[in-house]
Parts: sequence; structure tokens; C-alpha cells
Amino acid sequence: MTGPIGHPASGDNGTGGGVAMANGLGLVTARPLVQRSPTLRFPLSMADTVRVAPGQTISAGILLADRLRDPRVEETGRRRREEAGDSPLLSAGQRTWLLSGGQREPLESPISGIVRSADTATGLVVEAAADSLAGVLAIGGPSRGRLEIATGADGELRPAALDVGRSGSILVVGSRVEAETLTRARAMGVRGVVVAALSGKDLRDFEASERRQRASVHQLAPFAVLVLDGVLRRRIASPVMELLASLEGNEVAIVGDPPQLLFRRVESVPTPPADWVRVASGPMVGREGRWAGPAGPRRFGAAVHLEAGFVRFDDGPPTPVPLADLERFV
Amino acid sequence: MTSDPRVFLTLDLGAATTAAALIGRLQGQWRLLGSLAMPATSDPEPMLDLLLARLREASPQIVEELAIPARASAIGRLVARTAPRGLLAVLAPTNARRDSLAAAADRAGWRVRPASLEHGDLLKLVDAALAPGVDAALIGCADPPLGDERHRLEELNLVADAIAERRPGLPLVLSGAVAASGGQSGTTESNAEAAPARPAPERLFAPAPNAGDPPGAPLTIFLGGLRARPDDGRQGIAQATKSLAAVVDRRVEALEIGLDGGLRAAAWPSAGEPSGAGSLASESAAAALFPPEPDEATVDAVLAWSTLPLDRTRLRDRLRELRFRPWADAQGDGALLRLAAARVAVSRLIDATPAISALPPADLVVATGGVWSSGPAPAIALALADIRRRSGAAQLAIDHARLLGPLGTLDDDGERRQLIDDLLDEVLLPVGSVVVAQGLKGGRPIGRIAVRSDGRSQERELVPGGLEIVDVPPGQLASAELEFREPVTVGTRGRKFGIEVSGGLAGLIVDLRDVPLRLPEGSDRRRDQLAEWQRSLWPDLEA
Repeated sequence: MTGPIGHPASGDNGTGGGVAMANGLGLVTARPLVQRSPTLRFPLSMADTVRVAPGQTISAGILLADRLRDPRVEETGRRRREEAGDSPLLSAGQRTWLLSGGQREPLESPISGIVRSADTATGLVVEAAADSLAGVLAIGGPSRGRLEIATGADGELRPAALDVGRSGSILVVGSRVEAETLTRARAMGVRGVVVAALSGKDLRDFEASERRQRASVHQLAPFAVLVLDGVLRRRIASPVMELLASLEGNEVAIVGDPPQLLFRRVESVPTPPADWVRVASGPMVGREGRWAGPAGPRRFGAAVHLEAGFVRFDDGPPTPVPLADLERFV
Repeated sequence: MTSDPRVFLTLDLGAATTAAALIGRLQGQWRLLGSLAMPATSDPEPMLDLLLARLREASPQIVEELAIPARASAIGRLVARTAPRGLLAVLAPTNARRDSLAAAADRAGWRVRPASLEHGDLLKLVDAALAPGVDAALIGCADPPLGDERHRLEELNLVADAIAERRPGLPLVLSGAVAASGGQSGTTESNAEAAPARPAPERLFAPAPNAGDPPGAPLTIFLGGLRARPDDGRQGIAQATKSLAAVVDRRVEALEIGLDGGLRAAAWPSAGEPSGAGSLASESAAAALFPPEPDEATVDAVLAWSTLPLDRTRLRDRLRELRFRPWADAQGDGALLRLAAARVAVSRLIDATPAISALPPADLVVATGGVWSSGPAPAIALALADIRRRSGAAQLAIDHARLLGPLGTLDDDGERRQLIDDLLDEVLLPVGSVVVAQGLKGGRPIGRIAVRSDGRSQERELVPGGLEIVDVPPGQLASAELEFREPVTVGTRGRKFGIEVSGGLAGLIVDLRDVPLRLPEGSDRRRDQLAEWQRSLWPDLEA
């Protein structure tokens, strides 16, 4: 399928607000391709030691906090006295409770920005000096590395395709990825993976693998997975793929709250034509085409009546698609 | 809204879908002029403009008569929001108390993050309250405290102090003996570094979890008040259900299923109440249509109602996908999956609201929420009949334009009743009536039904274990006479029953299946059985 960027018939690379209103395109859910200066949050536990202050300007790699692994509470008494390095939790009368635990793990900033809040209750809140691409889910992280396109938009990366040559990179791996590939990627020094969909089984398997790794005494290198669309297999949307291709070779970061891929501010985003829409769910998931106007209530499979719009795929005839299954990029 | 007496818009902003309706006053009566529903992620303005454009195209004379503006932005609005449920950290001395507090909070519409000292230490409890997204913390035990609660009371007070110290401004609800002690250890000192002056912690004193009849009811009311908002969609539905009961002078039950939870509201005519009706309403997060992480029990339950040949892994993935995009994939298999999930949600809602189940059965059952908006009405009737297994007769209807929530946000009870009275025939899509007979035995015909309406009579034999569908069109009343060879229960026990029923898109459903419903154990046989019942009410499923 032809990608939308620079489509010869388009002649319109704006967000298409006017077009949207005139032709019913405003009825289609708008998905921002790039978010400017997003606000990020890193959760903190009471046992963590924060190393930055609100208002502080930070750069990528700076230590934000020391995280205490496996914290526990101990009450002071004859067998346990307060020592240097202990974090008192609270005391009442003669009794004191201390926070103690195992190793401390550094939490490094994945991006430059300004610390807006550094409170246990709200977490570390950072306004990023960067742009971002939103996903629906992130696992692990934060992590940063060099962006590398490992497969096409509808590809799938096999474990055998990974070697240490990809160490330090964040890989774009297409439509889906298996837990085995993720585990091997981590072992090869890969810093992250960007994928369209991750099945529930692969998610659970990978999380279990992560828990086993974390239970060991060794500190793990940062690793994160960003899921762009959901659970069921589909190709990465072509406007997103174009954006990722334009960022290849650059330093990017994956953060979990909200789930996003962060990258340096870009002057011009490769925006698709205003009438470019994508089927984000349903039987035609992954297909992209041009909006051809509202179709009104239509009868679909299982005798269900849904509001629909016409989409022209590959210069074919207008096809009715439920509006709820469509999205456009702005 | 009422500044323009001739036309207004309603918006029900749900977690998954946005529903809009246009209401106008024609010949002295409020009428529904049009309605639409779209994904919650859509901009509502183009949707409202489309609604107006359709009205202009279909009835330009109405547009002229009501002087409806060209743009929706110029029309007054009545808005109800189903905001994401607030998150309440529930902290208790024992697991049993944690569960009772969590149940009270769930019925009040909170999402719950529970922790107890029985399986955790002070840190676990404080961390639970300080976790991101927590909107309030509830610390409670019985009053007087039980034996295993008493010796943990001091620690609970310490937890309250630690939370107040670290997160001032977080509403701290103290219940039972914790409230009696003020929730303060008295001598607590924080070892946190010297901090600037902070706002005083907000401590609220709530009824004990063991107070009231049933126990926990006053605490539920207190917690419900804590999250009350004037435009809350679920509370709006509860209010509108009450007005509806007063208007139709019948017992009404509303079942609302949303992405993050459900509401069950019952109302009955009561001359003693200023509003003309009494009511009882309860929410539950357990009734979420697509829970954030479907657990094994949820997957099993949806699988049990599904006619799709899906394995557990695939079903779990589809449920998780629908959590990300709950408005999507509403056709074909997606429609079947949605109704299977809706059955599970309704079942859990009914289980979570025993006080409403203990009331006399409703005459009119109204299904509301986005999940019911796209499926065929007869299929929805079957879904409700599958789960509501109460003998007797009830009329089924769908709040198809999602008006109950917005109308319920009106403060003026009289104004709300007037609107519902005017809009009655348009608010509720008549699905039909269902008659459930209990205590049937054997597989042979055990009686007959004769339905008379509009001068014609239809007679059927009644065979246990199945559904008998009698065509009664929407808007028609019919008289149904059931005669059984042996005594059975249809509300009351007897052999002959005369019932007046209302028609609808599904007609009259005489439900002769088991009460409670028993399904075959084997998955293939169960799917076949469900599909057979489904075919009778969803004949064009394969179309």
C-alpha cells in the first residue's frame, strides 16, 4: 500500500481542520502524531532518595533518584538500632520504625527537561524538553538508546536476527514481537523495542522473565518496550512509520507514564494528508486510505447498525467503515 | 439549559462513548428530535453539528418552527459525565475488615486499592495511600473493635499520621474505632526533613463498617457523598430512574454497564416521598465491561457466555484490546463478544447488589450504557433474560439515546419528571416483555399460552427448557394467558396466570428455561445451546 506522506494527489499537508468540518472528517477520532514538551512522571516509593529538586533543569543521564530494592520496615529496639544510612519512617513515643532494604538502584533521566515536582506522593514530574510519540502501553524503563528500524511496518523480528551489534539501540520491530525475542534483545544489550502490538501471552511471559531477572542481585541495564496500538497484530501506521524512519539513528527514549517514545524536538513533522485515515480496529484493521465522506448509519456484520464513513482504499471504490474503527493523524 | 425553552442538547460523556441527543418542544411537549453516539475520543462538536444537519435534512419545518440555530455551539446543553471512578486506598487491620470496607467503597462507586496489616506492614499501607492516582484513603475497623483489630489500632493511627504527614491535602476518611480515636497517635513525629508549612490534612469521620442495616450501608452513603458531583452520569441515572418510577407508577430497575463499572438502581412509586418515589442505587467496579486486566475468572465467565470458538488466550487478548479501544470492533464477532462481556458485567452487578435483589421484582427493566447502543434489541433482551432469573413478568426497554444520565442531573425534581413524562415514549426503546416461569419439569409440553392483542389471538404450546417468542409489536399491549398442567411459579405459584404485557422489538419472550439458568458443561454443547437460543432472537446474525 502506498504511504500517505507526500501523496501526489493530496496537496494538503496541514491538520485539515477546515476540511474535517466541511467533509465530516471531524467525526473521525484524531490521533496526535507528535506531542510537544510532554509531562512525564516517574513513580517514587517512600524508600527512594530523590537527587533533584523542583525547578531544576536536568539533562539526559543525570541521576534523578536512588531506588531502594525490596524495602521493608523494622522497628528499633535491642536487636535493631538506628544506623547511618537508615531512613526513619516514623516514630511514636519511644518507638521508631526504620526503612531498610537491599541494594539501591539509580534512576537516570532519559531526557532533558525541568523537574516540576519531586514528591513521594506525586512522583517525580518532569517537563521534557523533547517531543514524543504516544503508545498505549510501556513495560520496563525508562530507557534510552539509538533508534534503529529493524523490520518493515508489518514485519516481525525473530530472536535469531538479534546480535550484539544492536547493543545500545531501541529497535522498531513492526507488527508484533514474541517474549523470546524481547528476552534475547535484553541479553544482547538492546535498550528497548517499539512494536505495534504485544499479545497477552508474550506480555506475561516477558514480565515473568523480568521478575526473575530482577530477583537476582545484579543490577539490570535499562530496557523498555513501547506498544503503539494494542494487543492484536497489525502493521505500524504509515504516518508513524514515516516519523520513526525520520528519527532513525537519533537518540530516543522510552518512558512508561504516560507510555511514550521521546525524541529531540523536530522542526517539521512528516504529517500525512488531512484526509488520510487508518482502520484501527475491526475486520479491516491496519488498512489505510482516503476519507470520502460520511456514510450515515450502515448495517454491518451480525446485523449491527453503526455510524459509518466512506474510505477509498488503494484508489478502489468508497468502502463504508464504522467511524468507531477509524482514526486520523493530526 | 432551561434558558432556551424550545430546544436543547443532551450529552452523556461516558468513559468509552459519547452520546448526544437533541430535544425540542413541539406543540407544548418535549420531543426527542435525534440522537447519535460516537467514541469518547471523538470531538463532540462535529457530532452535534451532524445531528443538526440530519434534522435539517429530515424535517426542515421543525428546524424552522423551533428556530434551531445553524451551529450546535449556539444551543444550550445538559451534560452528564461518567468520570473515571476515583481511587480509594482502603487500609484495615485485618483481611476480613479490608474486604468489608472495600465492598462498601465499591458500592459507593470507588475503585479500591486495598491493604491490611494482616498481610502487610506499615510501609505497605502507607505506600498504598501514597500511590499515584489515589484520591482518598479510608482507614477503618469495627466500633467497638474486634479482638484482632484492637491490638492493631495503634498501628492504624500511626499509618494515618504517616499519610497525613507525607500527603497533606489527601482526604483521610476514618471509620469506626479509628475515627473514635481521632486517627492520631498523639505522639507521632515525622522524621522527614523539615518541610515548609503545609495545609492541614483533611480528616473525615465516617460511620463504622459494622454500623447500619445492612452493615456498611451508612458508610457506603458517606463514601458516595465524598465523590458526588452535580453532573455525575451514574447518579443522574439513579435520579432519573426515580422520576421514571413516579411517572409510570411502576417499579423500575435500571442496569447501567460502563467501561469502568456499573450501576443498578431500583425505584418504586411511594406517595410518602416528596419526589413520589423511593429508590435504592448501588455501583460496582466489578461490573466493568472490560476490566483493565481480565483475570482468569473474567475470562472463564466471558468464555462461558460466548458463542465464538475462541481459546482462552485469544479471548483474553480480545478483551484486552477492547479495553484499549472499547468503542471499536462492534460488528460481527465483536458484537457477540460485547454481549457476552455484558452478560458477565450484569451478573456481577446483580451479585454485588443484594439489597436491590431483595426488593420485589421490577415491572420495567431499563438497560442503559454504551454497550447496549449498537446491538440488536432482541439480542439485548436475551442477554438480560439470561442473567435476570426472577420468575414473573417484566417489560424490557433500552435507554437508546442515553438520556437518563443527563436528565437526572437536573436539580428540579418537577422539571425532571415533566421532561421524562413528555419524552417517555422516546426515552425508552421498547424491547418487549419477558415472562419467566420457574419450577417446570420434563421435556414434554406442559401447558399453553394464548396472547390476545389488537383483535388477534396467538396460541403456543409451552415446552420446558426453551424460549417461546410471541410477536407483539412495539407500542401494543397484549393480554397473555398461561395455563400449566402442574403448578409453577410465575411471580406467584399457580396453574393459570393472566398477565398484561407490552410489545417491543423482541415481542413477548416466554422463558421456560431453568431458574437459575443451567448450561451444559462441555464447551461445544454449551456454545450450541447458547447459539440455538440466540438464533431465535437474532435470526440475521449470519447476515
